[in-house]
Amino acid sequence: MFQKILSLIGLGALLIFLQVTIFNHIHLLGYATPLAYVYLLLKLPSTTSRTLYLLLGFFVGIVIDLFSNTPGMTAASLCAIGLITPRVFNAFVPKEKGEEVLHPSVHTMGAKPFYLYAFFLTLTHCILFFSIETFSFFNIQTLLLKIVGSTALTFFLVFVFENLHPRRSKMNA
Amino acid sequence: MYHIIEFLRKYYYILIFIVLELVSFWALFRFNNYQGSVWLTSANSTVAKVNRLYFDCQTYWNLGDVNEKLAAENLRLQQENHVLREALHDTKSDGGWIDSLTNEHMKNYQYISAKVVVNSNGKKNNYMVIDRGEEDGVRKDMGVVCGTGVAGVVLLTGPNHSLVTPIINNHSDISCRIREENYFGSLQWDGKNPRIAYLDEIPRYAKIKKGGVIETSGFSSVFPPGLYVGKINSVGDSPDGQSFRLEVELGTDFNTVRDVNIITTPYKAAIDTLQSRAMRESPQEM
Repeated sequence: MFQKILSLIGLGALLIFLQVTIFNHIHLLGYATPLAYVYLLLKLPSTTSRTLYLLLGFFVGIVIDLFSNTPGMTAASLCAIGLITPRVFNAFVPKEKGEEVLHPSVHTMGAKPFYLYAFFLTLTHCILFFSIETFSFFNIQTLLLKIVGSTALTFFLVFVFENLHPRRSKMNA
Repeated sequence: MYHIIEFLRKYYYILIFIVLELVSFWALFRFNNYQGSVWLTSANSTVAKVNRLYFDCQTYWNLGDVNEKLAAENLRLQQENHVLREALHDTKSDGGWIDSLTNEHMKNYQYISAKVVVNSNGKKNNYMVIDRGEEDGVRKDMGVVCGTGVAGVVLLTGPNHSLVTPIINNHSDISCRIREENYFGSLQWDGKNPRIAYLDEIPRYAKIKKGGVIETSGFSSVFPPGLYVGKINSVGDSPDGQSFRLEVELGTDFNTVRDVNIITTPYKAAIDTLQSRAMRESPQEM
């Protein structure tokens, strides 16, 4: 259990570090920026309290905001993701595994439910983040391109992360 | 009560969520110029709408007063008109020619009527907002008058509203003269009494009577000459002692200004071009 917490903290720190040093500077075709930190909220175990989801979303958001000079934007969107993640998780988790402590991953949930769950939250987060960043629906085409591009890129990264630790995930399962 | 506590226990995380979102959005509006400015303008247009409503109501309640004043003004003007017409008739047999001359002169000035939407007084730099703007033909530096005299000068124009610098603003500077004397100076306000302004730079040899009328000089191309500004209250010395400083009781009470007219002059553009050309060319001569 303690090891799990440590590895989650490590994951969080790594994601924040990668985000502020590398991912924030990627603007693929001028539109797509990966927002990979969402992966941390995806990986929280099923027993996490809703308050922790919210607080973690908010504080990770604030830290990323501080480094990328976008005060409030990430915090507001990631905190909202923290609110809906438990619900979405409950909707996607296979019924027979509802009782025990579950660490969301391809191996515990199955590929399709996990990726659906990840895709839904990534999309929601990108919609929220870029709506707050643009703060108007005047230039809706650019906004949509940004959302679609960034969702695709973020989802791709989630896919990569998920397959980088096959050994550890198997151990968890 | 029990239900409320039970509700809070079940949904306390919603409260936490709301608090965190409030903090985030506070940071968003506070530290991001773009989002902050969007927030401010949208908030401001709401404020303007409320102000507009308030002023509409106030205008309605003051209608009786305004009406009375207008009637009195009308009566005074009619009497004045009558007296002047008789005087004119006595002095010039060929009065029709003068009339046509006056009409010819005034034809070139057109008026746009407007309502004051926002009005501040009691500050050092007061301003007024009127409900006519660029789309109605209002341009920067046009003169604004009301029934009781000169009110101010247009400072900024928006599509449908304009900001006016009234006489009771520290930056207001209107060229005025004493009626029938032709001594002129600039009218300024000291930031204290909104009914009193000062006319500086009147030469010491000028013969000045208390109660004399101050009118626009027409030099600045903002106002046509001869518009009523106020009455001389008392005569004093200017700070440097070189000239007179006249205390002028303004004809316009800025506490109750509601309906104004904006004067559009066709000459203004021409005069301004000349002035700017003179400014451009004078350094080369020197």
